[in-house]
Amino acid sequence: MKDTVLDIPAIELKGIRKTFTLSEDRDAKTVLALDGVDLKIRQGEFLTIIGPSGCGKTTLLRIIASLILPDEGEVIVEGEPVREPGIKRAMVFQTFGLFPWKSVIDNVIFPLMVRKFDAAEAREIAMKHIRQVGLDKFVDAYPHQLSGGMQQRVGLARALSTGADILLMDEPFGAIDAQTRELMQEELMKICQQEQKTVVFITHDLDEAVLLADRVLLMSRGPGRVREVIDVDLPRPRFDYDVRGHETFVKVRAHLWHELRNDLVEQRAEETS
Amino acid sequence: MKARSRKDVRRDQIVGVMVFLIIWEVSARLLDNSLILPPISAILAALWELIITGQLIVALSQSILLLIAGLIVATTIGFVLGALIARSRTAYWMLNPYLSALFVTPTIALVPLVLVWFGFGFPGRVTVVVLAAVVPILFSVASGLRDSPGDLIDVARSFGVKGEIALLFKVRIRAALPVLLAGLRLAAGRGVVGMAVAETYLRLGGIGGLIKSYGAMFQTDYVFASILPLSLLGIGIVSLIGRAERRLHWT
Amino acid sequence: MIDKLIRPSVFLPLVSLVVVFGGWEIVGRSINPLLFAPPSEVLRQFGELLQTGELQDAAMVTVRALFLGYFLAVVVGIPFGILMGAWTRFGDILQPYLYAIFATPRVVLVPLIVVWFGIGFEARLFLVFFWSMIAISVNTAQGVRHARPDLVEVARSFQATRLQMARHVLIPGAIPFVVSGLRIGAERAIVGVIIGEMFLQIVGLGGVITKGSQELLPAKMLCAVAVIAVLGTIIVTALDTVEKRFQDWKGAP
Repeated sequence: MKDTVLDIPAIELKGIRKTFTLSEDRDAKTVLALDGVDLKIRQGEFLTIIGPSGCGKTTLLRIIASLILPDEGEVIVEGEPVREPGIKRAMVFQTFGLFPWKSVIDNVIFPLMVRKFDAAEAREIAMKHIRQVGLDKFVDAYPHQLSGGMQQRVGLARALSTGADILLMDEPFGAIDAQTRELMQEELMKICQQEQKTVVFITHDLDEAVLLADRVLLMSRGPGRVREVIDVDLPRPRFDYDVRGHETFVKVRAHLWHELRNDLVEQRAEETS
Repeated sequence: MKARSRKDVRRDQIVGVMVFLIIWEVSARLLDNSLILPPISAILAALWELIITGQLIVALSQSILLLIAGLIVATTIGFVLGALIARSRTAYWMLNPYLSALFVTPTIALVPLVLVWFGFGFPGRVTVVVLAAVVPILFSVASGLRDSPGDLIDVARSFGVKGEIALLFKVRIRAALPVLLAGLRLAAGRGVVGMAVAETYLRLGGIGGLIKSYGAMFQTDYVFASILPLSLLGIGIVSLIGRAERRLHWT
Repeated sequence: MIDKLIRPSVFLPLVSLVVVFGGWEIVGRSINPLLFAPPSEVLRQFGELLQTGELQDAAMVTVRALFLGYFLAVVVGIPFGILMGAWTRFGDILQPYLYAIFATPRVVLVPLIVVWFGIGFEARLFLVFFWSMIAISVNTAQGVRHARPDLVEVARSFQATRLQMARHVLIPGAIPFVVSGLRIGAERAIVGVIIGEMFLQIVGLGGVITKGSQELLPAKMLCAVAVIAVLGTIIVTALDTVEKRFQDWKGAP
């Protein structure tokens, strides 16, 4: 493809460094969370990020969302450097992040209301995405009346309703039971293919990382760095055949596990010594 | 929404208290009416006087004796009734009306009745402390023993603990200990109030009696000087139990 | 009807009340009906107090001081709590005093209140207002401080302004805490008004108790205690219901 617009990466990270200060009363410790992360994410790409816990995956995603700023380096979204949350990126949160005092529809409308959309128009957009995630019957329900899976559907509908091209998802299915999770993975893939979304998806689940991704980014721990980026060359749609039995799936998964395992074993050795 | 470090908070509080005391001292001297606002220096002098004449020690020991006696009785009653309503629906429904009534009635309103029925001697005064303190203990015992985790009971059973009584002592009470201590902490706070009420309303005695008699003589500096140890007693007992609670927090 | 009566939740309390009050009646009557005030005696006294209007008048006096003091406590307590919560340093500096005031039994402060406010309406009002206000402020401040960080982040990620943040995240998040404060404050207010009426000016329902004890009439005291208990139950149950309604708003973090 020669289209020049598509040549611009959806997201580009240049030399991202981030340290945190753990301030306990007396001794303040600084921890290097991310050490020089460079990355280009193509438009329409599904990128999953996996790595041992504490490798800074979530920090990286929050930096991409501009919820926190890096100490050094730049986040460039569709060609423009950003320092604040913006309308081109929408986030889906691990703990769903639904307002308990708002009904499903009001939660989904929230980003539109913040941007002062006309009420009727906002409602129409929100309804479309509520239908898309299959919650039409629960429009006026409150979050505490919904199961975890349903709550995350609301979170997804909310992100979609912003119309953002880029979805930033922080272990969105981590708190959802295994069977519901598989269904939601399938639906997410459908929606992203239909709507041509760029997705950055954090997970700690190897199967999930390989299943969803065009590319998997493997991070290493302490300080967080990009260890490897692996192409997952599997045909789409991926839910109408046995992907997990596919040769490529098995190979990529085995490779990822090998690398992750080394990291974990090292970590254990450090901790026990 | 920046979290302030504990050191900063402490420093601010210490400075705050010092400024407050200075303002008090200066405005009291300017006002020059020790009935309404005695200066801090006068209060401290009164406190010193109470200490060296031994009045404070005598009063405090009477008060603490009353408080401890009351708390022991309240704990005993609270335990028996609490265990009863936790383990038996019948007992729960039979006792519920009285406990609800006791829960909503201010203890202070019952004190004159205690005076008529139990007299102003030690039993009467202990009764007031018990009325004030028993409810939180009872409720914490009841809820602690009711919500006792089923899986721990199963574990104990599988290792051969037999019988409801053995389970009660070996598993339920231990599992409920944090809840029980929380109840005891609330009870101690309310017990101090009950103690003060008993000492001012029934027979004057202890620290409450000290405050009331100086109040009747309009010696405000001595009133302040004797309120201070009472507040410290309350804070001390509650934080002591709070500390035990934190140490026990394994759940 | 019969069905309802034989339910354990109705049947057992009834049996227990009949047994206890029956026993009290028999024992009290056979020993000293005046001193032990059996239920029949209390009922007779209740009728008499209603007839002379003493009880209604007393209740009005109590309710007036209670409501005015509580109203002031709400009006002052909520803004003050917001200030304490939003300006953390101010809240931190104030905390030791609030803690000390809360830990000191109000009865022993009666001598100080007498020299500061006298024994009249103002003094009683202060007893109702001050402790209730503290309870409301402390809880409000807690609500303001404990905004859920995850929801703040959600609002930020969707570019909410400061005003939108306050309206959609901080205020709704604080409301359950404020409501808890209102309930605790009401409990404090009720005790405060009774203390004032028993120890300062002998009026109102607390005054009826004190007079009953001077006249050695437990039945009279019990009548006033019962009215206080009913009054307290109504107020606290109402606020309890509101509090439960807002429990879901706290949600899981």
